[in-house]
Amino acid sequence: MAILPVARPPLALPGFENIKRTWNRTFEAYAARLNPGEYYVTKNDEGIYTTLGSCISACIRDRVSGIGGMNHFMLPASTGEGGWKDAGLSSSTRYGNFAMEHLINEILKNGGSRQNLEVKLFGGGRIIANMTDVGTRNIAFARDYIRIEGLKVTSEDVGDVFPRMVVYFPATGKVRVKRLRSLHNNTIVEQEKTYLNKIEKEPVSGDIELF
Amino acid sequence: MKINLAELVGSVGNLVTLPDVFVRINRLVEDPNSTMADIARVASQDPSFTIRLLRVANSSFYGFSSTIDTVQKAVSIIGTSQIRSLALTTSVASAFEGLPNTLVSMENFWRHSLYCALAARILARQAGKLDPDALFTAALLHDIGELVIFNRIPQQAKEALLLVLDSADELPIYQAERQIMGFDHAQVGGELARQWKLPKMLEECIEYHHDIRSALHFPRETALVHIANVLALMAEVQTLNPDDVSPIDPIAWKIVGLNADEVLQPTVHEVQEEIAEAEKLFLGK
Repeated sequence: MAILPVARPPLALPGFENIKRTWNRTFEAYAARLNPGEYYVTKNDEGIYTTLGSCISACIRDRVSGIGGMNHFMLPASTGEGGWKDAGLSSSTRYGNFAMEHLINEILKNGGSRQNLEVKLFGGGRIIANMTDVGTRNIAFARDYIRIEGLKVTSEDVGDVFPRMVVYFPATGKVRVKRLRSLHNNTIVEQEKTYLNKIEKEPVSGDIELF
Repeated sequence: MKINLAELVGSVGNLVTLPDVFVRINRLVEDPNSTMADIARVASQDPSFTIRLLRVANSSFYGFSSTIDTVQKAVSIIGTSQIRSLALTTSVASAFEGLPNTLVSMENFWRHSLYCALAARILARQAGKLDPDALFTAALLHDIGELVIFNRIPQQAKEALLLVLDSADELPIYQAERQIMGFDHAQVGGELARQWKLPKMLEECIEYHHDIRSALHFPRETALVHIANVLALMAEVQTLNPDDVSPIDPIAWKIVGLNADEVLQPTVHEVQEEIAEAEKLFLGK
């Protein structure tokens, strides 16, 4: 028998009220829908889902308390002086740093402990043939960031040629990654391009809430 | 504003036309008085088709032991109805170049169709009493309605795609299309097949590949294309887990007369092995 949707999604943490949440029939739970550039942290038993092309999502949770969340980001193509390899210096990696920092800080702020954090990584696909492999760059950045922070990736599905649908439940750590058929490639690329144009136009400043 | 199915398909009449060589061979195959020599003559009047025909006939795709160096030999060895299928399959991708769109690349579109065609051919051989080449053609054409929708009503098509992604890929694309347009790509493809006067078998496979219980004349062929479509998705996203792709109507296996546990995995693997060669042969790569 189908479980009827609960009338209303559980209360969102402050700052995340604007993230769209809908009832997901497969998972029989509410799930927050992330667009490129957004992130979401929750203490509830609810899902977070997003579609990824060459963008990357880190799913991070406190495996003891179940507080956790997901982000969705990519590094802009403009490399700034020194190129993207100068981690933390170039303008390009700042967007990645913002995305990762914000996610981790929100989890800690809401009661998570650093030593309990577990990380899962998804995305970074090369979904347009003959295009420079921005996905690989995003993967490399995320892995570096996590290593430098002293955290561990417990599972990942990254790279290759597929777009992906990721559904993550921080409370349990359960994650569902579905590779999407190429019919969706262009739609996803377009969403990511819109996001990329936006971040490339916006000035990089430590104070601006970019995500 | 809602557009109806017949108008939509009518509006592409001048943009996509069936290859002339197919139309003429089709007529001859349907004509009981025609001979193999008639068909060979028509086929050889189209030099680019002759090249494609000999290329496919000599490829590992058919695996004939002797070299096929003339159209006459190709017709007698491959068979007239198979030559008709080939006249369609080797040129259908170029026939649709008149319907460009920004929602899916032609390369990705035809690759999925080809995966499906390869799966259908393999399944048809195993199921028995089916023409593997005809099933190959049916499967290659199963989504042509999508190209019509993407070209003629791109805004609605995009809305449907977004609806699928917003549902976390729970909602199948044809259901999203029905919600937004009132019809789906299978119905559009069926209508196109009717306007083109394609063989009834092709029309039913195209029109009902998401609705196999409605196929009245060719239920087995239609159910087979339905299965092949899902196996094509599995081959494309490299999975054998049914949860990763759209569901196969359980009755489809019964109608076709195959056992999922026995054929699913080997078919997906075989398709993955054949795709590169098939892309070269049929998509001119």
